[in-house]
Amino acid sequence: MADQDNERLLEHSYDGIQEYDNPMPRWWVITFWATIVFSILYALNVPGIGNGKGRIADYNADMARAMALREKMEPAGVITDSSLALLAGDAAALQLGKQVFETNCAACHRADGGGQIGPNLTDDSWIHGGSPSAIRTTINDGVLAKGMPEWGKILKPDEVSAVAAYVASLLGSNPPNPKAPEGTKTP
Amino acid sequence: MSDSGSPGAATAGARLDSFSYDDVVVRKFLWATIIWGLVGFLMGLIVAIQMAFPAFNLAPWFAFGRLRPLHTNAVIFAFAGNAIFTGLYYSTQRLLKARMFSDTLSKVHFWGWQAIIVSAALTLPFGFTQAKEYAELEWPIDIAIAIVWVIFAVNVIGTLVRRRERHIYVAIWFYIASIITVAILHIFNNLVIPAGPLKSYSIYAGVQDAFMQWWYGHNAVAFFLTTPFLGLMYYFMPKAAEGPVFSYRLSIVHFWTLVFMYIWAGPHHLHYTALPEWASTLGMLFSVMLWAPSWGGMINGLLTLRGAWHKVIDDPVLKFMVVAITGYGMATFEGPMLSVKSVNALAHYTDWIVAHVHTGALSWNGFLTFGMIYWLAPRLFQAPLFSKKLAEAHFWIASFGIILYVVAIYSAGVTQGLMWRAFDETGRLAYPDFVETVARLVPMYWVRVAGGSLYIVGAILFAYNIFRTWKARPVTYEVPVVKAPPLARVSAPPAHAPAPVPAGAWARFVSLGWHRKWEGLPITFTVLTTVAVVVASLFEIIPTFLIKSNVPTIASVKPLTPLELAGRDLYIREGCFNCHSQMVRPFRYETERYGDYSKPGESVYEHPFLWGSRRIGPDLAREGGKYPDLWHVRHFENPRAISPKSIMPAYRHLLTNEMDFDGIQARVDAMVMLGVPYGEAVTGAPAMARRQAAEVAASIVQGGGESGFESKEIVAMIAYMQRLGRDAQQVVLGTNAAKHVHVDSVAPARAPAAPGGSR
Repeated sequence: MADQDNERLLEHSYDGIQEYDNPMPRWWVITFWATIVFSILYALNVPGIGNGKGRIADYNADMARAMALREKMEPAGVITDSSLALLAGDAAALQLGKQVFETNCAACHRADGGGQIGPNLTDDSWIHGGSPSAIRTTINDGVLAKGMPEWGKILKPDEVSAVAAYVASLLGSNPPNPKAPEGTKTP
Repeated sequence: MSDSGSPGAATAGARLDSFSYDDVVVRKFLWATIIWGLVGFLMGLIVAIQMAFPAFNLAPWFAFGRLRPLHTNAVIFAFAGNAIFTGLYYSTQRLLKARMFSDTLSKVHFWGWQAIIVSAALTLPFGFTQAKEYAELEWPIDIAIAIVWVIFAVNVIGTLVRRRERHIYVAIWFYIASIITVAILHIFNNLVIPAGPLKSYSIYAGVQDAFMQWWYGHNAVAFFLTTPFLGLMYYFMPKAAEGPVFSYRLSIVHFWTLVFMYIWAGPHHLHYTALPEWASTLGMLFSVMLWAPSWGGMINGLLTLRGAWHKVIDDPVLKFMVVAITGYGMATFEGPMLSVKSVNALAHYTDWIVAHVHTGALSWNGFLTFGMIYWLAPRLFQAPLFSKKLAEAHFWIASFGIILYVVAIYSAGVTQGLMWRAFDETGRLAYPDFVETVARLVPMYWVRVAGGSLYIVGAILFAYNIFRTWKARPVTYEVPVVKAPPLARVSAPPAHAPAPVPAGAWARFVSLGWHRKWEGLPITFTVLTTVAVVVASLFEIIPTFLIKSNVPTIASVKPLTPLELAGRDLYIREGCFNCHSQMVRPFRYETERYGDYSKPGESVYEHPFLWGSRRIGPDLAREGGKYPDLWHVRHFENPRAISPKSIMPAYRHLLTNEMDFDGIQARVDAMVMLGVPYGEAVTGAPAMARRQAAEVAASIVQGGGESGFESKEIVAMIAYMQRLGRDAQQVVLGTNAAKHVHVDSVAPARAPAAPGGSR
């Protein structure tokens, strides 16, 4: 490079290694000062150092926004035993229910609903009620004490309804090796 | 020009010392670097395959959770460690014009370090671990590390004292800072109470333990993988380029700012965790300010090549070094960027961090080592390099390997981070099932396997090339006799007219004459470096430990039962913390998925903390009660029976291993020594554990599972799983239930609508 002739080489030499007396690159110095100024200004907005509101306040605001949005959203419609019974006759809904079941429920209730970790869903014994709307409530709210997750948080309302209708449709399907009945007989 | 260039030669005149350098130990370290490098890279390939193909978790000792720490320890402490020692022993002797202080200490250092590495390989796969990243090795090995490191330090400082060069060069500054700081970090992060010959608990708990760990963890990167390698760069780069270093002034400024600022940066690993916000913010700000000091090294390295770029075209040594320094520049820009909270919120717990460290490790540490050894081999083995072509091939194959690796893993990291935070139009998580966010990454994991394999192919060519060079060595090595005048008592006056002493304090300060004086006083220099590091550390450590409001206590948080404690130790033994975090951050997308965010008061009895740093599997902070006991039995037995796309290893041995109930008492006792209030368990831990084990086993039977688990390890693990997050959860369950009443039971009261099947 052309400007190297003008550079001053320092006298010292270590095992033959020498150093130039070059100034620090200006852009480098400016960058360094800029990060220092940024850091000081930033610190003024941090709880504990400066006077910002902090991450928990941000989180609470975000949750409040989400709750407000949820309230505005129309519920999925009235869900009754008869509306779920209507779904049971809808092939597309049953297909959706089957798919949701296989993805989410089969791990514990077996793909055929015969029960494994969770109870048998094909017999007429129910722990939390066997009417379509009771099944839907169990799926939606879960039974946390027994390890049934709150599927309403994960699945959309229509999916919960579809899978409830699908489960109701399994009654009497008599899969091989079912889990012993649990709960009370519900006609 | 080396000897005649020294001003001392002109003034001291007649008397010259005759001596020689100890290259025997340098050659030993060089071989250790190559061998452990191959081992460490291979371990990396194995764990990479395990992530893409879970059946490759072949045995309890050959599972990801046990081998991942072996990979990190092997590449950091075995490969990079031996590389540092190779270059340091070679360059220090020459820069100080003195043989190492003691050949015996050099030997003890070499063999001691290799013994430590072997003991790591013999303990980590068998589940002996402290569960702190890069500080996994158990307490007896930690003591050995401290002793060997002190021996190394004495050897280097002794050489400094016996030097014949009045002033110390910038490479030596970096070596000094590294040696001192690593000793401090290692000792203070590894303070533990032993609970057995290979079992211990950190004396710190929860928030404080997390702080100490990342103070250590980040500075292990700083003072083990950065500053020593900068020292190597300052010696080998100008040697290979045969030109002067760009700017002495820049060396001074970037050295001191780097040493003083790096030590603050650790808490950026804990953004949005239960660590107080002021601490993680300090970590972020010092990381941002660290950008320029880090780049000072890059500038000095790359600009040393000014006017010599044509040499890069046909010199593999320079090629490796240029890519190393470029990789260093990229990683040290990305580091400050990742420390910014909003970026960190996306990247934390994902593969982005893995990609970041591999950019640094594969290029900066790996390539600088390869370049250095290609330069050293002909000199140490006194034979020309076997094949320059092969070295060129190594360079291109390994470079391509790095690109494949990092592109795949950056994509994986960003993909998973975005999937975790995605909501659908109904305000629900778009990917509520965690495993969906894992299954999406598997193709990228295979690309990583390909990239890593190429890197290893390159390393094998490298090893072969060096081996053939060694084969061509002379029958006996020539040991050159070096002549140099003894150490001058004072700095020699400059041969040319001295620059006039500037007037005014500021002018004198920027003229740097004072620093030149320090360079002539290495012990003072060492003390000043220590002060910089210690003072900076204490600014963060003292408030973290002393301010009570940092960790508000939660009355319902109680110590684990003896059985749960035993289960936690199994969790540590299996390395579960390598894939599962236990720290929910205050983001809606986290609390919707896992439950309420984690509070500092929840981990006051957590010796050590298990917050984790990567979510290869889901967070477990709120796992308790999510699934029935039987679910856990089936899931540990074969995760894919429950979740077909899961990549978790199977833990069948937990179902068959006998639980060591009598061993629990020693663990409870150690916890009691740490101040955990254990009450009646102080005397009757095994009996209490047996009672609880029987309850868990009965619940498995009641759920429809097999009987006979009350004496097996699985019951302890399940007891621990079911306890996670329960103490602070009562309130949380209440709010969730309330939310549901609100969302769903309102519906039936409204007017009828069409059945929702088509919606």
